[in-house]
Amino acid sequence: MDDQSCPRCKTTKYRNPSLKLMVNVCGHTLCESCVEMLFVRGSGNCVQCDTPLRKSNFRVQLFEDPAVDKEVEIRKKVLKIYNKRETDFPNLRQYNDYLEQVEEIVFNLTNNIDVENTKRLMEHYQRENRDIIQRNKAKLTREQEELEELLMLEQKETEQRRLDTLQEEQRQLLAKKKKKQALLDELESSRLPAMLLLAQHKDRAAQLETQIEIQRQVVKPTIFSTGIPMGQTISLQPVVQMEEVLYRYQPLRINTYGPPVPEFEQLGRLGYLTHVRAASPQDMAGGYSSALACHRALQDAFSGVFPLQH
Amino acid sequence: MYHNSSQKKFWTFSSEEHLEQLRYEANQRLRAKVLGSARDLTAFSESLFLDPLEEAVLFRHYERRLLDFCTNFKPVMPKSVVGTANMYFRRFYVNNSLMEYHPRIIMLTCAYLACKVDEFNVSSSQFVGNLQETSAGQEKALEQILEYELLLIQQLNFHLVVHNPYRPMEGFLIDLKTRYLTLENPEMLRKTADDFLNRAMLTDVGLLFSPSQIALTAVLNSASRAGINMESYLTECLGLKEDKETLSKMIDSMKRIKTLLKKYEPPNPEEVSTYKQKLERIHTEFIINTNS
Repeated sequence: MDDQSCPRCKTTKYRNPSLKLMVNVCGHTLCESCVEMLFVRGSGNCVQCDTPLRKSNFRVQLFEDPAVDKEVEIRKKVLKIYNKRETDFPNLRQYNDYLEQVEEIVFNLTNNIDVENTKRLMEHYQRENRDIIQRNKAKLTREQEELEELLMLEQKETEQRRLDTLQEEQRQLLAKKKKKQALLDELESSRLPAMLLLAQHKDRAAQLETQIEIQRQVVKPTIFSTGIPMGQTISLQPVVQMEEVLYRYQPLRINTYGPPVPEFEQLGRLGYLTHVRAASPQDMAGGYSSALACHRALQDAFSGVFPLQH
Repeated sequence: MYHNSSQKKFWTFSSEEHLEQLRYEANQRLRAKVLGSARDLTAFSESLFLDPLEEAVLFRHYERRLLDFCTNFKPVMPKSVVGTANMYFRRFYVNNSLMEYHPRIIMLTCAYLACKVDEFNVSSSQFVGNLQETSAGQEKALEQILEYELLLIQQLNFHLVVHNPYRPMEGFLIDLKTRYLTLENPEMLRKTADDFLNRAMLTDVGLLFSPSQIALTAVLNSASRAGINMESYLTECLGLKEDKETLSKMIDSMKRIKTLLKKYEPPNPEEVSTYKQKLERIHTEFIINTNS
């Protein structure tokens, strides 16, 4: 969330979260009310850096950091002039060099480094490549138009779908009402017993439903939801098969430097437990058994008995 | 378990000479440190320092004091806690000199830390309540203990788990009763074996041999004192019939443990008091020098 406050009136940002911050060409922010106030008095100077401003130069801030907004503005202007494309260059290296040039220009203008020189460079470039710039401008407008058309199409489609579903619903409601009405009429007028009529009605309703379902299924989807039309063969790379060595479990072997200890489960059978203090019922309740203490003592006794091979 | 413990990896040394060497080096380091930082070199002469033999005497004296403190401790301190405290004390002074850190405080810190590590729950006030001092003195002692605690842990290289020979001894007794039926009453061996272990605690065996070896020596020793030869236990039950080499090595280690125990002499009170004076003097001078 915006944790910035307007540098002039400071408090109103917190009080009014819907208040927007505006950014101008020098990169400083002002909230909407402050902008109004500033131009009421006729003079248009930035509060922090005192550059003369026009009211039209203020744009609603999109990014949290006003420096970013400033850069975005500058970039837009620069790119209007430096609008060459990759196809305009004979090789990739030159295209990259060109891009690097553009970036330097934008950087210099944003951070107010060498502004004079940079502006001169830009004018120079503009004069030299006037026709290329015009050509690319035309291309750009064409592309933009195409994009806009696509967007419009999409919008229309969604609208259409919405209307369709609405209509469906209405139709269904009507149908239901009609059926109910028909049932009541029949109950009134016909001579057949009521149970039979109800059963007939139910059958007809079921039939209708299945019919509708069949109809819906007939309207087969022609494209997947991702936009790929059905039936199109897409060549995918075959999945690389990786053959790896199967994991084999090796049980852990630890050298205890001593004779082997009898197994925990065998202790009772081998007669060790008779020489250990028996576990009282309180101990057993907690899960203790005399075999545990016995086994531990034996392990400790046998661990490390054999001297190390120095 | 002992076989993959830090005790086996880092705190079991190969020979007594190695231990002597380490203690000697610690002594030298301290001397160099003091002489290096002394403002007034004339105040310090070589004779003021304790040499390793004198340090050893003092060490034994303070070790006894530690044992007395632990035995008179209320509530009753389990044997493993006493063993752990003793081992910490011993390990600390392998790499440090008594002149640098006074054993009186380190001894209490070892006991305090051992209680914590071995899960023998004693609150700090209860702990210092066991000291024979006024409550102000006890407070001061507690402060000092807390000050030195981290240092102690650091010098132990954070290896706090100590394996004592008491449980292996129990294990051997159980095994004897179950498998070695030539011996009718192993219980009679218990008292002498216990005594052996207590005497072993006062020597360096804990730093040279594994606890199970010490326990086995204790059991075999008490049996031989009672006139029973238990070699057949080693060959039969421990499965060493074929492995003559290991058997001979084991007997060798047991002999070494016994010799170490025999070599122990309790500290001479006169010597102790002279060295203690020296120690106090060094400590006061040292503190003055480092603070000034």
